[in-house]
Amino acid sequence: MRRRGTSEVISPPGTKEKVFGYLEERFGLERSLFDDYGLYMASKGRVYLGPRRVPDLPKIATIGLLIARVHGTVKPSTNLLQALGKRVSRNIVNATREQALAYARGGDFKPDSAAVDGIGDGYVLVRFEGASLGCGLLQKGMVKNMLPKAKRLELRYI
Amino acid sequence: MRIPDRFRERYCSLVDDEEAFLSCLGELLPKSFRVNTIKSSADEVMRRFEGYGMGLKRVPWYGDAFICDNPEAGFSLEHFTGAIYIQELVSMLPPLLVREELGKSRFVLDGCAAPGSKSTQIAAMMGNKGTLIANDVSYSRIRALKFNLEKAGVLNTVITNRDLNAFQNLKFETILLDAPCSSEGTIRKNYDVFDAWSEGGIRQFSNVQKQLILKAFDMLMPEGTLVYSTCTFAPEENEEVLQHLIDNRPEARLEKASFDGLRTSETVGSWNGTEFSGEIRNAARIWPHHNDTGGFFLAKVRK
Ligand SMILES: C[S@@+](CC[C@H](N)C(=O)[O-])C[C@H]1O[C@@H](n2cnc3c(N)ncnc32)[C@H](O)[C@@H]1O
Repeated sequence: MRRRGTSEVISPPGTKEKVFGYLEERFGLERSLFDDYGLYMASKGRVYLGPRRVPDLPKIATIGLLIARVHGTVKPSTNLLQALGKRVSRNIVNATREQALAYARGGDFKPDSAAVDGIGDGYVLVRFEGASLGCGLLQKGMVKNMLPKAKRLELRYI
Repeated sequence: MRIPDRFRERYCSLVDDEEAFLSCLGELLPKSFRVNTIKSSADEVMRRFEGYGMGLKRVPWYGDAFICDNPEAGFSLEHFTGAIYIQELVSMLPPLLVREELGKSRFVLDGCAAPGSKSTQIAAMMGNKGTLIANDVSYSRIRALKFNLEKAGVLNTVITNRDLNAFQNLKFETILLDAPCSSEGTIRKNYDVFDAWSEGGIRQFSNVQKQLILKAFDMLMPEGTLVYSTCTFAPEENEEVLQHLIDNRPEARLEKASFDGLRTSETVGSWNGTEFSGEIRNAARIWPHHNDTGGFFLAKVRK
């Protein structure tokens, strides 16, 4: 991971604006939520939200949490939507029990039309009974699963 | 489970109740977890688990910790979302011992961090703010550390992959040194411990720990706090390591390690002909049969 000294490292310029702008517009996550943190970039457009103060150290494996991948557009991570799920105020798909089970095991699901009323295609927060499950991609009336393989789980208690 | 004779000889004289101690080692450990306050609260988790029909017992000495009568907590929604972290009870003690300090600290080091049970707890106690350096020498264990920190929603952490002895001489307000050890206290969840057990091994760990504790102490800011912990009984890895610190860093002060509602025991006064300093009595031993937990040792050191 690239970083220098104690300040955040973001390139190309404008990436920070792009990420924070997207999170605010799409999920209602205000910029002030990120005031205490810094943004850091790694290869392949990966953006991390981490501590503001990072000492100059060799052998850094990771800084903070992978919150998005930026390739022209911004793809938010499940980590971020799980961590800040309670603060998300729009583009939330409330899943039924069956849908939540399907999501947790890595499957796509077709939400009821009422659950996606007023939600435009794009990334959504999948929620079940107030719990933030993670990121999905709403497309043609389906929620596509964005859960990393390692996080998948066959839930027995939900 | 076959307990080595030499193991019996070493520890039976140190415990209050030999029989209770030995039989406890063969009993299964109760399942426990900690609520990850970055994502949830004890009340919220309790409500959900009641709905599952799982019996939860709140741990008297730590309101965020629970014993669960069902071994399947790992298949719950709360485990999936990172609202809970499955962790052995004694493993929760080191951060708890410096909870107040962590609430105020902005620069903290977890020197031997993988797989991150205590790092995730420390991050939560720091309110997910400031900077926590979570370091471990083992590249393969860094993966698990990373996974667990991500799952817990930790933002304030930098993971480094170094030998702590070679670490830059930065100064931290609070440091945890959860040292590599012979792990005798984990026998209740890992029967292999006795297969690899030897006094030679204990000696080796002791030497490693003595080096690490000096390094960790040297990285403390003035007035900073270091927690030293192991999950083993061997005095060579516990009291003797603290003695080595005191002998080499006379400014080190030990503060009382105790927890309301948890039974801790006296440290060992002398071992192999060495008498330990009185100050070491401020550290604490946890014997498995006293609280139905794993075995543990911890000390709070102030600069
Ligand atoms: C008892 S475990 C730590 C458990 C961890 N604190 C937790 O709560 O999940 C000890 C760790 O020390 C690491 N270790 C051993 N020697 C080390 C060294 N010289 N520098 C840094 N880490 C070391 C090991 O790789 C191991 O992960």
